Amino acid sequence: MSGIGDILHLLFTANLWQATLAAAVLLLLPALGGVISERSGVVNIAMEGMMLTGAFFAVVADLAWHNPWLATGVAIVAGGLMALIHAVVSIQFRADQIVSGIAINIFAAGLTVFLVNRIYGLQDVGHVGPTEGLPYIDVHGLDQIPFIGQVFFQQNVVVYVALILLVLIHVVLFRTRLGLRIRAVGEHPQAADTAGLNVFAIRYGAVIASGLLSGLSGAFLAIGISNTFVPNMTDGRGYIALAAMIFGKWTPFGAFIACLIFGLGQAIYDNNSIIHVSPYLLSMLPYVLTLIVLAGLVGRSTPPAADGLPYVPGSE
Amino acid sequence: MGHKRLRFLGVVAAAMVFALACGGTTGGGTPTKTYKIGLVTDVGGLNDKSFNHLADVGLEKAKTDFKIQGDVKESKSGDEYVPNLTDFATKGYDLVIGVGFLMQEAVGTVSGQFPNVHFAIIDGAGTDAKGNDLKHSNVVSLFFKEQDAGAMVGVIAGWMEKNGKAKKNKHVIGAVGGVSIPPVNHYIAGYKWAAKMEDSSIDVKVGYSNNFTDPAKCKGVAQSQINAGADILFQVAGGCGLGVLQAAGQASVYSIGVDADQKDADPSVIASALKKVDVATYTAIKNIVNNQFTSGALTFSIANEGAGYAVDNLDLPAELKAELDKIQGQIKAGTLIPPADIP
Repeated sequence: MSGIGDILHLLFTANLWQATLAAAVLLLLPALGGVISERSGVVNIAMEGMMLTGAFFAVVADLAWHNPWLATGVAIVAGGLMALIHAVVSIQFRADQIVSGIAINIFAAGLTVFLVNRIYGLQDVGHVGPTEGLPYIDVHGLDQIPFIGQVFFQQNVVVYVALILLVLIHVVLFRTRLGLRIRAVGEHPQAADTAGLNVFAIRYGAVIASGLLSGLSGAFLAIGISNTFVPNMTDGRGYIALAAMIFGKWTPFGAFIACLIFGLGQAIYDNNSIIHVSPYLLSMLPYVLTLIVLAGLVGRSTPPAADGLPYVPGSE
Repeated sequence: MGHKRLRFLGVVAAAMVFALACGGTTGGGTPTKTYKIGLVTDVGGLNDKSFNHLADVGLEKAKTDFKIQGDVKESKSGDEYVPNLTDFATKGYDLVIGVGFLMQEAVGTVSGQFPNVHFAIIDGAGTDAKGNDLKHSNVVSLFFKEQDAGAMVGVIAGWMEKNGKAKKNKHVIGAVGGVSIPPVNHYIAGYKWAAKMEDSSIDVKVGYSNNFTDPAKCKGVAQSQINAGADILFQVAGGCGLGVLQAAGQASVYSIGVDADQKDADPSVIASALKKVDVATYTAIKNIVNNQFTSGALTFSIANEGAGYAVDNLDLPAELKAELDKIQGQIKAGTLIPPADIP
């Protein structure tokens, strides 16, 4: 069978779409974090580092307490603390937000490698895991629906949580007063300040939220899917999430669609042992798809007006 | 008194003893120099449960047997290879060891800049940007016949499929490689060749994760092979490959570990293909200490105990054990030669 035929055949299997959704959710959580942070006017490229930190502390906590729920909580807090650093540096001290983000990503990579050796030792390294995993849950009844059941209702618990968060964040951002305030602070902080909003508090909250979401994604990666920690296991997902956020025009559902395209590319690539196409060509697929969609369908994508600009009270 | 001063005094004392020993006319004194050995890991890091880890094990063993100071630098990304190697070289280390094929070009560059420092590279040579061996006289390549180890676990997989001992008995097995590079493909070549030798009707799915550090990626590739009917999966992807073992465990099929004995990583692991990087690292250090450094290549295989296999979380039937002993003997004697390229 030809390569194209192999791929077409795959597109009609539920296995492929089940894997697509799981891969997309790993990207969706940090992408949602990015949407919130940047809507409030703080550029955030540190999702990679926050996710890696979350992944590491999820494994440490899980191995210590054998409780994946508690470990997930620890991961979320760890991601939030990394985000707090970004918030202090870029909101309080008005440092360059790109530089702060890069610093956090490098810091997280170094910190986790250092700590993994400190905690588990160089000799006894064979035992970072296996952990107690976050469970896969089949939704009773719904999982029996042909095709749809396997894709949507036989997933890890984090997938369900992420889909709920997607809707929730969309509603909060575009249908509530809080969302209006977040967006106002990101578009025109001076005007928002004049209107009596606390620009700093809102930006702090938004940046920390991005860390909490990235930490959750790290927990999903480490104790939901992999059940171990490997240095740099996030493998650039935070950056792909960043691309998904821009691609999705800083909206939750736009980012989700972008994540699905990346996830589909990954899921197709995963089948390279049964598709008769060079794995190198296949690994380009999600990025080629992105370029086509970006150039052909999405059009111009404009960031929030005050994105990346530190707010100086009293300034023009 | 600080550690630095203590160490300084130690070096002075060692130098004095050395001078006295050399000044003697008998010449029978034991060498008293403390050799400094630097180990640089690739991006897999020491916790890969695999060859970076084994290199460290070899270094630690050498530390207990010889008078050496051993230090390790972990590379977090590819662009740290040159700085890490250079750092050891400028500090006057006697031997700098690069772990892994991915460090070939870095070792080629740095060994050219420091002709008086000895370098060893596991799984590769010191090359230029195009991958041509520069053949520097201060570099030794430590190569493995991974196909020997791959063949042994291939015998296990093929025999189990043929004799109905696997879980699904569809005569389908899989191999998940990290990236399609020679050391990975040698393993898969031996595995596929031996499995087909045992079970001529077998279908061997070969896939790549394009990654060595992300278990989720390898898990995806493994799940695709399991969906296609594979019930014994061989991981050849370092830390990424832990995801293969996970996927096999969750689907209740068997898996095979790589490089190191990976029986603790997952209950599904029934065997591991061993590349004894510890033996190679230890040998390279021993050659330095005994002043027997030779440039060029040292090859580790079943014949010199530098490659092999481990039986893990399954008691293998006696007939299979007999078959393994027979094949191992034939490879050792050179009457059977596993191929280096995937058949």
